[in-house]
Amino acid sequence: MDDQRLKQYLDALSIPGIKAALPTQSFFEKCQPHSVSGEEDVKVVKTCCRACIANCGVLAYVKGGRVIRLEGNPQDPMSKGRMCAKGLAGIQALYHPNRNKYPLRRVGERGGNKWKRISWDAALSEIAEKLMDTREKYGAEAVFCSTGGGGNPEIWSIARFCNIFGTPNWFEPGCAQCYLPRVLSYTMMYGGVDPSIADSNALELYFPDDTPIQCLVLWGTDPSYSCPASGGNAVVELRARGVKTIAIDPRFTPDAAKADVWLPIRPGTDVALLMSWIRYILAHKLYDKEIVMKWTNLPYLVETSTGRLVRAKVSDSKDEPDTFMVWDKHTDSMRPMNYPWDDGLDPALEGSFVVNGKEYKPAFQLLWERVEPYTLEKAGTICWLDPAKIEEALKIFTEYTPGGLALGVATDQTPNSVQAAMAAAIVDFLMGNVERPGSLLQRFRTSGVLKMPNYPVPVATKMLPKGQLKKRLGANEHKGLHIWYAGHPSSIRDAVLTGKPYQPRVWIDRSGNKLGVVAESAKWVEAIEKLDFIVHMYMYPTSFSAYADILLPAEEWLETDMIVETCNKLFARQAVTHLWETMDETMFWSRLAKKCAQLGHEGCQKSFDAEFMGEDLAYWDSMEEFFNHFTKVVGMDWKEFAQKAPFEYLPKDEWRSYYVYKQTNEKTGKPKGFNTPSKKLELYLESMIDLSLTGQPFAAEELPPASKEYDPLPYYLEPVESPVREDGLHEEFPLVMTNGRVPFYHHSTLRNVAALRELYPVPEIWVNPKTAKTYGISHGDWTYVESLRGKITAKACVTEGIHPGVVFMERFWNPETLDTKTHGWQEMNVNVLTKSTAPYNDVVGTYTLRGFQVKISKADGPPEGVWTKPEDFKSWLPMGVGETSDRTKEGRK
Amino acid sequence: MKQYIILADLDRCIGCRGGCQVACKTEHEIALGPSRSKLYTMGPTGIFPDLQMYFLPLMCQQCQNPVCAEVCPTGACYKDEADGVIKIDRDTCIGCQSCKRACPYDAIFFNQELRVSDKCDVCTSRRQQGEEPACVRNCSGKALLFGDINDPDSQVSKAIKEAGEEHVYQLKDTGTQPMGRFILRNARWIDDLPQEYESMRQKGEGHE
Repeated sequence: MDDQRLKQYLDALSIPGIKAALPTQSFFEKCQPHSVSGEEDVKVVKTCCRACIANCGVLAYVKGGRVIRLEGNPQDPMSKGRMCAKGLAGIQALYHPNRNKYPLRRVGERGGNKWKRISWDAALSEIAEKLMDTREKYGAEAVFCSTGGGGNPEIWSIARFCNIFGTPNWFEPGCAQCYLPRVLSYTMMYGGVDPSIADSNALELYFPDDTPIQCLVLWGTDPSYSCPASGGNAVVELRARGVKTIAIDPRFTPDAAKADVWLPIRPGTDVALLMSWIRYILAHKLYDKEIVMKWTNLPYLVETSTGRLVRAKVSDSKDEPDTFMVWDKHTDSMRPMNYPWDDGLDPALEGSFVVNGKEYKPAFQLLWERVEPYTLEKAGTICWLDPAKIEEALKIFTEYTPGGLALGVATDQTPNSVQAAMAAAIVDFLMGNVERPGSLLQRFRTSGVLKMPNYPVPVATKMLPKGQLKKRLGANEHKGLHIWYAGHPSSIRDAVLTGKPYQPRVWIDRSGNKLGVVAESAKWVEAIEKLDFIVHMYMYPTSFSAYADILLPAEEWLETDMIVETCNKLFARQAVTHLWETMDETMFWSRLAKKCAQLGHEGCQKSFDAEFMGEDLAYWDSMEEFFNHFTKVVGMDWKEFAQKAPFEYLPKDEWRSYYVYKQTNEKTGKPKGFNTPSKKLELYLESMIDLSLTGQPFAAEELPPASKEYDPLPYYLEPVESPVREDGLHEEFPLVMTNGRVPFYHHSTLRNVAALRELYPVPEIWVNPKTAKTYGISHGDWTYVESLRGKITAKACVTEGIHPGVVFMERFWNPETLDTKTHGWQEMNVNVLTKSTAPYNDVVGTYTLRGFQVKISKADGPPEGVWTKPEDFKSWLPMGVGETSDRTKEGRK
Repeated sequence: MKQYIILADLDRCIGCRGGCQVACKTEHEIALGPSRSKLYTMGPTGIFPDLQMYFLPLMCQQCQNPVCAEVCPTGACYKDEADGVIKIDRDTCIGCQSCKRACPYDAIFFNQELRVSDKCDVCTSRRQQGEEPACVRNCSGKALLFGDINDPDSQVSKAIKEAGEEHVYQLKDTGTQPMGRFILRNARWIDDLPQEYESMRQKGEGHE
């Protein structure tokens, strides 16, 4: 079909209609299984997966331009040649008949799902005109952008575009709910990398044959399910070599089943348990005394009325820390402790000291006072755990050292998020589990190719016009968000709904199904109705697409390029094929900036000026041009890099640099210490106070203070909806809901992939047999699940693997009902039930995704139109070979 | 005689269904619904919170006395003497499904597209190319091994020896002498036929 005829054909078709208009042929033909190796025309491309946020090395077998087989690349030091279900399903995702293929403009009513194909140029022009018009009438801040939700997003491009366009508002449903609390805490307290396995950290775990690690605590993380090929495999290897594991998880996951101790904690109470761990370690003096005394700030004196550390001298050099005061037991007086350590002093860790009428306490004493109430018994009561089991876990953890605590996403999903990460960090710091062989917290060397973590795009903070930063919605109150330059989702939504403090009007989103991943989806739909203009860029239509005005086709991971650093090796994700008119978002934002520049936007015009942009780089016309800026660090252009990758940039042993803090700073002749203001591990996180007052060290300009100072020490916050609160809520909603991953999906992705939906067709709700009996529910029954905010349906999995007072569900949405009035987000989406309103985490604004109250009852059957049987998914199988290759002729744009 | 088998180390199986399900189905272009391999969740057994659970990947057990081959009216289903693997010849299979009904392990399915019985053949085509079976190649836990159990130097024989006899299991023998082997050290082996165990569990009658 020629382009013109196809265009006419596609005009004003509904989304499922697009699929119906394209001839499909059966994926299955009566033939012997094909074998691909040994045939001359099969090409093997070394690339990297991006079905989740791991970047597992992949060998893509391509025949006649079509990807026919995927296998893990054995050269990958983390996945070691394995691929998981999500990655292996990449072929079905790539050739999905319902891919977004061309830019589409809505015709008719919003939500009516009628679309007309337009050119990229027309789409970009229309978006740019709308942006410029909005900026002129209402200010650039009336535009907001978002990303997240899985599916190969590249977050810094969005932050960069927002800065250049002049709006401070971008967000993702992750950030405060996913990973940012951990990154923030470990960055501020330690200055090294956090121990998240699912975020491809804790790299010590990938060397099972020579790491001395003896105990791994999987706290709210289940690598078997979140990253089977890399982290899952690593934990298997360690266990096989006798490493002890402890799983803290409400759910009896595979890693819980294989652990030495399983602590099925009440969802949302992790900080109480962590406080009991800290208390136990302090009370039994099990901490590493050398580290605590010499390499943490716990001996430093705090003025109790201000919470500030006492300084003898403020340093004017970034190589030298300030000089702090300790209470010297020899002289019974306050004395300056010269960095790094003064053998002449004997600092007190405990006690209270009064000098000139002011009270001072060592930070250690304040930490002890904070955790002192959290005995094992108290933690047992709060967390619904047997104190003896908690102690059993603690005995293993403290006896089998070195070890480490791998903190997962679970604790990021409650308003107690940052405090959980702070407390977890404190546990490892006290035990000395930092930068020694066998610990998870490390500053191993990097190639220097990527300046920003994970993605190379420079954020260009200098481009945001002065005065705009304080308009970042929700980020004056929750200043920790500035570490990722992000706004606060609920504050953005509330501004749309109320017009306060100003009215956002235009939304550009490049991500998975927003309505599947934001809390309280229904409230967002109300907000959507108030917006002037919505753009959605993704690989497939999602529920969110139904509400958009322009739909743009994004590339699948098998179509994209990226520089990937995995341990001591550099890999290239490289486009194995290219279909239709899909585009990499790294190009999309550049092209949109160019359009705005043509319409007279000064910042966008400057963003193409290489000299002006400097380190922030001028916008690029191709991915190759962009990557060349980075690959030159290793002396190659992108073409050569992609051809040679993967390769080692450092020998393994040189790359694994231990005890970085002990290395000498050549300028001072003293140890480098940690990447913190005091160069010590800051268990007492004084800089939280400064963050709350000014936004430092993350905000590019000084911001007005938050309504309350952030606490330098962790504190426990009982979940706002809770079975132990005496507000009567639990009488109607008696069960605590938690969420967690299954190995078939990442965030809101892949629910439209037949190979995965047949394995996990509908979301399960895990219910203990006792509870199931109470509500008359049997295994496999359709079950209503309700919270204060809504009602959905799930399928009961009756299992002993969950506490009788707790239920578990994985997030879900139903692409099969996109073209109905539910648009696929209302039937089985746990985020209809979650809570997006206050209380928020003070530092970063986290809302309540886990640890809230629900009730369950038996449903009559599945929601209307939902697919449940394997054969239901047949229309999502890839199109035949001949049909697809026809569409690739248009090439890369 | 050679006897190729798949060996599953259940302490290493993390239930992720990547290699044994998705890779297998992609490799063999199996339609939605049936599968050449299944993954059974054996548990949790016990009472919360004192539980055990393991996963059991199950494919054709390459029985010594294959009842499936015995009942085949055309000889399409046979045990290949070259490698001990039970195979189904698609040209002579008449789709009567006698073999499927006879298999005690529910390891044969009816391939609707081709109108023939279908089952795991330890990736004969891949082995001919010198490659590992797709499930073994892609198993995230590295829980699956394949090789000739009659060859003491094969990977599977070595793994069995290393695990020690007391930790090596085979599926309950109903007279067919299953050759597949399972290693399990850290949990108690459940000797029910996996498909029967699963249906009991679904009826709420699991072991306690």
